[in-house]
Amino acid sequence: MLENFSFRTIVEYLPLFGQGLVTTVWLSALSFVGALVVGIVLCAMNLQRGWLFRAPAKAYIDAVRATPLLAQLYFLYFGLPRLGFVLPELVVGILALSLNSGAYIAEIIRAGILSIPRGQVEASVASGMTYVQRMRLVVLPQAFKVTIPPLLGQAIVLVKDSALLSLISVAELTRAGQLLASDRFMPAEGFVTIAAFYLLLYYCLKGLAVLSSRWLGTAGART
Amino acid sequence: MKIARLFIAGLALAGLTAAASAGTLDEITKRGELRVAVQTQGPPFSLVGANGERTGSSVELAELMAKEMGVKIKFLDFDWDGLIPALLSGKADLLVADMTPTLARGMKVAFTTPYMYTGSTVFTKADSKFKTTEDCKAKGTKIAVLLGATGEKEAKTAFPDADIKSYKGGGPLLLDAVNNGQADCGVNDVSAVKGQSTAYPAGSFTIMPDLLSKEPLAFATRYDEPDLLVWMNLFLNQVTIDGRLQKNLDYWVNSDAWKKDH
Repeated sequence: MLENFSFRTIVEYLPLFGQGLVTTVWLSALSFVGALVVGIVLCAMNLQRGWLFRAPAKAYIDAVRATPLLAQLYFLYFGLPRLGFVLPELVVGILALSLNSGAYIAEIIRAGILSIPRGQVEASVASGMTYVQRMRLVVLPQAFKVTIPPLLGQAIVLVKDSALLSLISVAELTRAGQLLASDRFMPAEGFVTIAAFYLLLYYCLKGLAVLSSRWLGTAGART
Repeated sequence: MKIARLFIAGLALAGLTAAASAGTLDEITKRGELRVAVQTQGPPFSLVGANGERTGSSVELAELMAKEMGVKIKFLDFDWDGLIPALLSGKADLLVADMTPTLARGMKVAFTTPYMYTGSTVFTKADSKFKTTEDCKAKGTKIAVLLGATGEKEAKTAFPDADIKSYKGGGPLLLDAVNNGQADCGVNDVSAVKGQSTAYPAGSFTIMPDLLSKEPLAFATRYDEPDLLVWMNLFLNQVTIDGRLQKNLDYWVNSDAWKKDH
């Protein structure tokens, strides 16, 4: 088994894997920031009383959650140009990941906000706080704390989803593995190596989650 | 006495090795099914016809092989860069695609003798400012190629200053990328480009008259299937002699006669 495994080839391809890793990291980071913005906007729309903002936000979240990311990616890359919008692959990639992940993040934040007991909101209304004060001082600090773990979970999903960008010619980590597999016909070496790198990224994010929960545990808002 | 015993032992050993190397052909006969790896990427080699049936030049040749073997055929579909791994991992007995027997691929799989010749060509969108192969050499030109295809390496050599974008999947993706403007030029086998561009309105693409390379095409098996390789070469030899190969190529590759039927 293992005598067929070529560590030498993996070492030879390490610079390529390194470049791919760097691309995966910055692409995912940018996409996550984009997804947070999309998520917050969607969540704000979704929490409105009037249907005018709520209905489109709900429809969007359902549409994104019901369709595969691959289909969304192909639509943006191969479909949109037929409608007159030609975007470079990196833009399409970041856009697709942000728009997709944003829908999930909107629901995570909404769940966080709704987890704050109704009584606290009523109490802050009774003590004469404005909407902004209520959100800033009572609801959001607590909601923030409960959303951190699922948000980091979503970030891990996003990093793994970024592998799909290899299909629209983005030279990220998975593509580096595909190149090794197709150049040297060594799929085992190529895909084991990217698995190791994704595991590394996973542990980094997990470490971040532990650190942030510790930080929030001491410095976070307490009621 | 001793010599007789040795002789019997030798016979038994020979019998064992003969049984062990009974071969893929026997296996296929016993199984009653020939498993063929293909990439359904579009005309002329492998496509899904108007009635949803799988057909094309390579597909028909594979069907002819199964018919001559007297077994059923089973097609397994892979991306271009997944064909050789699929063959090596034993998922398929052989692969039929418009594949060039390069020396690098030959280190991994056993190719038949070539049955036709084609070459890599450069194509652009008909109304683009890239009119010739020379135009595509400009620094930063975006060139679409297929991951794992010979065109990938040829493009890197022919256009060293260009931005090579490799797509995973099939040739039609390259035509799409060029048609959409995400790439300026595309590089692929001329026979594939000509066949696949029929899916677009006539005159959508400019296909350069000059070829970047001369590419033989062959079918492949594994090196541990020597009997199958011998038989496949015999098959190609036979269909060349009786004209069935020429008929296939004239219908699928050298003309667009197939278009009215599929």
